[in-house]
Amino acid sequence: MNRAVDPRDLAMDGDGLAKGEVLLEVKNVSLRFGGVKAITDISFDIRKGEIRAIIGPNGAGKTSMLNVINGFYTPQEGTITFRGEERKKIAPYQAAASGIARTFQNVALFKGMTTLDNIMAGRTLAMHRNFLWQLLYFGPALNEEIANRRKVEEIIDFLEIQHIRKVPVGRLPYGLQKRVELGRALAAQPSLLLLDEPMAGMNLEEKEDMSRFILDVNSQFGTTIALIEHDMGVVMDISDRVVVLDYGRKIGDGTPDEVKANQDVIDAYLGVSHQDEGEG
Amino acid sequence: MLYQIFVDPFAQMVSMPDFLIQVIWEGFVAGILYALIALGFVLIFKASGVFNFAQGIMVVFAGLTLVGLHEAGVPAFLALILAIGVMALLAIAVERFVMRPLVNQPEIILLMSTIGMTYFLIGFGEFVFGGEPKQMITEELGLPTGSSAFEIGEQGLVILQHIDIAAAVIAIIMVASLALFFNKTRIGRALRAVADDHQAAQSVGISLNQIWAIVWFAAGIVALATGIMWGARSDVSFALEIVALKALPVLILGGFTSIPGAIVGGLIIGIGEKIGEIYWGPLVGGGIESWLAYMIALVFLLFRPQGLFGERIIERV
Ligand SMILES: Nc1ncnc2c1ncn2[C@@H]1O[C@H](COP(=O)(O)OP(=O)(O)OP(=O)(O)O)[C@@H](O)[C@H]1O
Ligand SMILES: [Mg+2]
Repeated sequence: MNRAVDPRDLAMDGDGLAKGEVLLEVKNVSLRFGGVKAITDISFDIRKGEIRAIIGPNGAGKTSMLNVINGFYTPQEGTITFRGEERKKIAPYQAAASGIARTFQNVALFKGMTTLDNIMAGRTLAMHRNFLWQLLYFGPALNEEIANRRKVEEIIDFLEIQHIRKVPVGRLPYGLQKRVELGRALAAQPSLLLLDEPMAGMNLEEKEDMSRFILDVNSQFGTTIALIEHDMGVVMDISDRVVVLDYGRKIGDGTPDEVKANQDVIDAYLGVSHQDEGEG
Repeated sequence: MLYQIFVDPFAQMVSMPDFLIQVIWEGFVAGILYALIALGFVLIFKASGVFNFAQGIMVVFAGLTLVGLHEAGVPAFLALILAIGVMALLAIAVERFVMRPLVNQPEIILLMSTIGMTYFLIGFGEFVFGGEPKQMITEELGLPTGSSAFEIGEQGLVILQHIDIAAAVIAIIMVASLALFFNKTRIGRALRAVADDHQAAQSVGISLNQIWAIVWFAAGIVALATGIMWGARSDVSFALEIVALKALPVLILGGFTSIPGAIVGGLIIGIGEKIGEIYWGPLVGGGIESWLAYMIALVFLLFRPQGLFGERIIERV
């Protein structure tokens, strides 16, 4: 693939960690909604530079885990340590400011806005001119707008979506919406990228494209990725390590091969303990 | 009777075109002010889903603050800047003490809180500035006050108040700058993002609290401009608040989330109301201002149930 993108240009802001060091550590996290235990005493870590898959049957608590990591949910117990800083409670916009970007299981784009504007919105945190400068629009705020626009165009090239730059995203087919959403997350140049089922509902070809983008993001930009995915083929193919959840508990953690051989995991997926899992 | 309803008014329009133009112009100017009030509603509703019952009183409060400061001896332009500052403080206070604590409550609670805010602002305004009507400081702000007469045709005459022309120009400039701000700047984009999807907006690093403070401030500025314009035509008093209710039919017509809808809707109601009042009003003995606007809105809705610019809903199947 010949892409006109210089990887250093889009690499995330330096977080001072070497490849393989712990970037994010989840420790004894429990999350309840009233009586529903979404997550129970889960611990795992994500290391710098890896693709870390989070898998498990429906309702296992995967999305809840991402919501805890990016601040949508505050766990009742446990701690999250990101880049060496432990935190108990964090607002989502602060999580974003600290270098965490994400996509959503049900595409959550700004439907009325174009592809370009959606991805520009992803650069919110890279733009600093304050409200008053913005009111003036010209001068520094305009220069900033232009510089960021250039970055966004690189992302658009990278994801091969030039042809839909000016299309309101509400009109795009699902597969492309997912790709735009990835673009919006990449625009923040995050050090940790959370992807919630980026390939759900895609056909084989679209899945292959998406896998390739994820691998390229990881290898070219050095972005650490946490990936929720139901397609076991894809998961085993592209991830470095896998954590397996079931009924809110962690039942497996290791390389794809280790996880595949884990008896609890096999049971969960074959429905020995409960009979509700069709996908996978 | 049928003649009086369906023929006579039109005959009058044709026989006195200059008077018709005068009526349309008056309606247009009133329409601009309706549109500005509706615009304030739309800004807040889009960004937060809150129906801001207090938008009307904000117009009065902003106008009173400006005039009150001037009466207290502050030079006009300084008073204007201070009034803008007061609207900023109000926005910050609303975000901090109304929006933030009530954020996940049902919409009805937020509506109630804006009704509460209305009474607070009335009480507070009366306490600080007194209850009697005040004169807007039109000349002191450098706004024109005279009028010009234009000849139309043989012996027709249309009189335009300069302040009305200024109102139109200022409204156009304000709407154009808002459009530019919304479409071309980071914060404008963030505002649109929040209007579309709260969670996604937060995930890209937008702080809802900050955005809410900004939209309330923007609505406050719009209210101040409306208060000045309206105050210059009548005077600044709490009676204005009633007139602000005209924004409701405008919103029914234009849609609660559409800025172009607020503007066009405001103009349609303003002009339609004036024409109805002048040409058909005498038939029912006058006094139709209070309900005609709603009639116009309802008649429009019969033909376009989604409102004027009702955002077409793109459903996935
Ligand atoms: N906001 C919420 N309020 C109440 N219950 C919730 C909430 N979010 C999640 N849950 C519950 O928590 C549990 C875990 O849900 P979660 O969405 O994390 O599962 P998941 O692993 O992502 O499942 P799926 O594969 O279907 O996406 C479920 O029982 C769910 O109903
Ligand atoms: Mg999920």
